[in-house]
Amino acid sequence: MAQLSFCGSGGRDGIPPPVVLSRPPTQCIDRIPLALPASPASSDSARIDSASFDYEAALAACARGDKQALHQIYQHESRRLLGVALRIVRDRALAEDVLHDAFMNVWTKAASFDATRGSGRGWIHTLVRNQALSVVRTSGREVSTDEEAIAAIEADAVANAAPMAEAFEISADIGRLDECLHRLDMPKRNSIMLAYLDGCSHSEIATRLNAPLGSVKAWIKRGLLSLRECMA
Amino acid sequence: MSATESPDDLQVLAGEYVLGTLSAARRGALDARMKNDAALRTAVAMWEEKLSPLSELVEPMEPSAALWSRIESAVAATPTVAPPRAFVKPSSSWWNSLNLWRGLTATGFAAAAFMGVVMVTNIAQPPASGYMVVLVGPQDKSPGWIVQASTNNQQARLIPLGKMEVPGDKSLQFWTKGDDWKGPVSLGLVKPGKSLEIPLDKLPPLQPNQLFEITLEPTNGSPINRPTGPILFIGRAVKII
Repeated sequence: MAQLSFCGSGGRDGIPPPVVLSRPPTQCIDRIPLALPASPASSDSARIDSASFDYEAALAACARGDKQALHQIYQHESRRLLGVALRIVRDRALAEDVLHDAFMNVWTKAASFDATRGSGRGWIHTLVRNQALSVVRTSGREVSTDEEAIAAIEADAVANAAPMAEAFEISADIGRLDECLHRLDMPKRNSIMLAYLDGCSHSEIATRLNAPLGSVKAWIKRGLLSLRECMA
Repeated sequence: MSATESPDDLQVLAGEYVLGTLSAARRGALDARMKNDAALRTAVAMWEEKLSPLSELVEPMEPSAALWSRIESAVAATPTVAPPRAFVKPSSSWWNSLNLWRGLTATGFAAAAFMGVVMVTNIAQPPASGYMVVLVGPQDKSPGWIVQASTNNQQARLIPLGKMEVPGDKSLQFWTKGDDWKGPVSLGLVKPGKSLEIPLDKLPPLQPNQLFEITLEPTNGSPINRPTGPILFIGRAVKII
């Protein structure tokens, strides 16, 4: 049978510690180690650090060819950006390649950053996520999207259906998004967070959540529409 | 937007783009569509902003000490260039780069379509008979310059399509190479954003598919009369009938 990889099941070197848990999950998802405690101190210091740094000014300086400004961005944000990339690509060396290419993009595209359309930090994060997603979507991490293989997995999933558990719990202060995510039912919340944080495709989420592909697609669609309404 | 796409469909599409659940092909199609679809761009920007707090949940990781050095040396070899932008890692074997040639082939359609527009807008002064080259960034394929070459008077005209900035200690150098030539021949230094007339009478006659490119070189041009810096723009000659 063709194999479906487990998005985020990893097992290789350098797998990032999963998302912080503040409340213990009622049940851990089968086979997938999802949560280890993280150091709140490091998260806090990173946040304070990034809050005081003027990303927009640094990007404007990059656009003028100021290499020091790029270094400052790197010093302030590389740890968090590597964490984001590593969760998605699941390989330490690959994640550093993603960061390398993304910083080159920051450097060459800094002039196109438009501060009226969003924050500088958000723009940098988007470049890193897009680079990481491009790597996993074109590298064929999904070994198979073979319909038969998926059907077999789905049959297996239905036969072994266990109650779903929270894939993530939210510890950091993410404001309104936290509230809106918690208004979603668990399958929708899990699907959206697995996609955004772990870079999982629909079929990878189906595998992770032991759910039919069609359900996952519907959860994401309805979850997005509910989020949009909630956050409007 | 297609006729059957509802506002909700657009939101879901944009949301899935930002979540990252789409295949590489669908991501690519949306990237292309975003260039001309302001509603999609706005929806994507909205989702990027709304979902970005999720990244706060990720545990930071310390990059290896070597990573910044790698970035720093790549940056040193790359100018910041205002649009159209181009970036390639400098490589001694760029001439043999398979990806580059594949890229150029893939660019053919876009270049041809673009050329159509250029030819229509320049219809008042078409070259009597000759060649046209669209020089594009090797990575993003965005057109940066065009070359119009007349075979009658052995002249070529290099025309900028945008402005770009070049660091003070660098200059742009223009090169060409025919299929059977041993190496590229310099056509001289180019000022960013400025047209340039180039006599071709000392060169063999232009050939279809002849290569043209602009590289980043030291202020007075390459010291070894061969390209030494990264290719910023590259394209091949197409015969105009």
